[in-house]
Amino acid sequence: MTVVEAAAPELPDLPAASAARFVGDRRAYWRLLIRGAVLLAVTLGIYRFWFATELRRFLWSNTEIVDETLEYTGTATELLTGFLVAIALLVPLYLGFALAALSLGPAGQLISTLSFPLLFFLGQFAVYRARRYRLTRTIYRGVRCHQGGSALRYAVCAVFWWLLIVLTMGLAYPFAQARLEGFKLRHTYYGNLQGRFDGSGFRLFLRGLPMWLLVAGPLVFALAFSVATVEWDKVVEAAISTGSGADFINQLETAFPAVYTAIVISVVAIAMSVLMTAVLFPVFQAMMLRWWLSGLRFSTLTIRSDLRTGAIYGAYLRFLWYGLLFLIAEVVAGVAALMIANPALAALGKPDAAEIAEAVIGLGLYVTTMLGFSAIYQGTVKITLWRSGVESITLTGADALDRVDAEGAPSSAVGEGLADALNVGGF
Amino acid sequence: MTSGAGIYFDGSTSARHRVTVDAAPEALRILDGDGTVIAAWPYAALRAMSAPEDLLRLGRLNDPSLARLEIRDAALIAVIDDYADGFDRTGISERRTRARVIVWSLAAAASLVLVAVVGVPMLTDRLAPLIPLTVEHRLGVAMDAQVRALLDDGKSEKPFECGTIDTEMPGRDALDTLIGRLERAAALPIPLRASVVRRSEANAVALPGGHIYVFEGLIARARSPDELAGVVAHEIGHVAHRDGTRSLLQAAGLSFLFGIMLGDFTGGGLVVIAAKTTVQSAYSREIETAADGYSVRLMTDAHGDPRALGAILTRIAGAIEPGSKILSDHPQTKDRVAAIDAAAASATASPQPLLTPTDWTALKRICG
Repeated sequence: MTVVEAAAPELPDLPAASAARFVGDRRAYWRLLIRGAVLLAVTLGIYRFWFATELRRFLWSNTEIVDETLEYTGTATELLTGFLVAIALLVPLYLGFALAALSLGPAGQLISTLSFPLLFFLGQFAVYRARRYRLTRTIYRGVRCHQGGSALRYAVCAVFWWLLIVLTMGLAYPFAQARLEGFKLRHTYYGNLQGRFDGSGFRLFLRGLPMWLLVAGPLVFALAFSVATVEWDKVVEAAISTGSGADFINQLETAFPAVYTAIVISVVAIAMSVLMTAVLFPVFQAMMLRWWLSGLRFSTLTIRSDLRTGAIYGAYLRFLWYGLLFLIAEVVAGVAALMIANPALAALGKPDAAEIAEAVIGLGLYVTTMLGFSAIYQGTVKITLWRSGVESITLTGADALDRVDAEGAPSSAVGEGLADALNVGGF
Repeated sequence: MTSGAGIYFDGSTSARHRVTVDAAPEALRILDGDGTVIAAWPYAALRAMSAPEDLLRLGRLNDPSLARLEIRDAALIAVIDDYADGFDRTGISERRTRARVIVWSLAAAASLVLVAVVGVPMLTDRLAPLIPLTVEHRLGVAMDAQVRALLDDGKSEKPFECGTIDTEMPGRDALDTLIGRLERAAALPIPLRASVVRRSEANAVALPGGHIYVFEGLIARARSPDELAGVVAHEIGHVAHRDGTRSLLQAAGLSFLFGIMLGDFTGGGLVVIAAKTTVQSAYSREIETAADGYSVRLMTDAHGDPRALGAILTRIAGAIEPGSKILSDHPQTKDRVAAIDAAAASATASPQPLLTPTDWTALKRICG
């Protein structure tokens, strides 16, 4: 097969700035979600490999960037195989943890304590590998995306940054994101076109700081207040010297009234902080997505996102509204089922069967609730994040996409399997 | 012969080629603007790749180059569809695959449940005796510290363990006499470490490594040494059957089985816990029934009254037990008592008092 480049019909001149669109039909997506939820329940979750593949196919193939849609070529069988391999790798590890905890005494305890950081590390490793799988299954204009870089190095960096995030009460988060996304994008390729990440951690920090103050501020204030007003060393002394709990409480009331003020302030502060988190979460999510999209670079291609926070809020409100309707329907259905099943079985003289029926109906309701809410979340919030994200971007220098040479090969799905087994799955 | 417009990507670069697609009977021909044939794809190798609704995106089977041909012309799509039976525009083969997946998943789920209900207990029954007693002992020491911390509510000013201060010493001696008699009859491979603790519930617990805790409330409600001994013998049954280790192994096995295999689909977490609780309760009920049987035999061997266990169980539990049967970790009391009485009927009893009245009075005062 030969291709004569010059002989190809002339392409229309592309404008300097081009856009991206999401062309998917909302109802088609809901159909996928509902069918998936039912099949997940029926197959005890084994259908999830097929479900994830269907969703990705839909999202990818309806995402249009400069007049061409993406294509997802991954298959459910690959995911299933990856999962089985991951299980085979994890079984000896879990067995080792269990045996160490059983037999080695203090050393075993040390290993048990280390198991959480180790699994976290493994989770980060899996996240990077899973990203590689998804990228190598992403085709655009007949050219594959791919990802290099060492997943081990990524996992080491990620563990370091997450440690820092925890130690700084989240203040290091913007810098961590900038560095980790930088690592990922540096190793991301579309054909021979290398990616880059231009998002500034410091700018994200400045933008996120007011939100951090609103969420963490009350907590810090409550902590400072209780340290300043209460003489904790004396309270501890009193707690040690008094024998029983009741005596200690009595003594607190008279000797240290400030303790009660501190407790009330702490409770109010925690409530405020939780409320602020709930209210600000969509703002945070929109800010992160906007920042991330605007930082993406491929050679001369730059991307800018003007994502509106209102769109994300709207999605969450729809989620709450649909969720409420679904919950009401659930309660009605559950009560009806109990009212029919219980007396019927009791009348037949089978109280044991009635009890089992009750448990089964309860478990069934729980499963439908969880799967239903998951579907509603994906049908409202997730799809809006994707659609609004895609539609918010403007591409400059998109002609860089016209001259890309094919490169890269498909990678295995073991990373996806690990991520699934370790419960750190992404899309 | 039908032809129409299409967009072709040759798979080696990302350049868009506007082409004319010619659906000839022998092969799908791709022509450039001059009418030169760029490629001819046989219909048998055609695959419809994932694409938006109104677009037919064609690739070739086993083609490593990822060349793609995109067609939006509905009439042309229909013609190609007629020629090529390799791709699945109507979704029939996809539906067939899905049906197969569901059937196999159901089979996998059934086998999972079978392994959980039958396989895991079978495995742990065989594994538990293989775990060295030294390991069980260390496990017992670790658990002992945790359980003590859990049970000790610190309400009393006296030490948590009864029988440790001077006034309570005679009670401790009486307890040792009682335990000693049972222990001799039981001939266990490990020494028992029994103690009475200040808890008001009428209960007793056994831990791996031979630790047995009798609660103060049980001693208060026991009307004879045989009733107390019956409960202690039940706990010795747990020690002899190594139930603590078995339960640990079972819990680990079930967590693994349900936790990893079911994966992390939403809501899976609680289903896993519910499934685990239900299956574990079933195991536990079997274990309790076996310990009751052991108590009857041990009490017979120790020349006590094997029926006393049933008597104290009835008194403690009362007539009606509330709560769900499938989630309860002990069998229902009336079933237990009936089983105990049936087993005791076949036992040749030659009762001798387990404790002298003086010792029994002392034991009743072990907690002051």
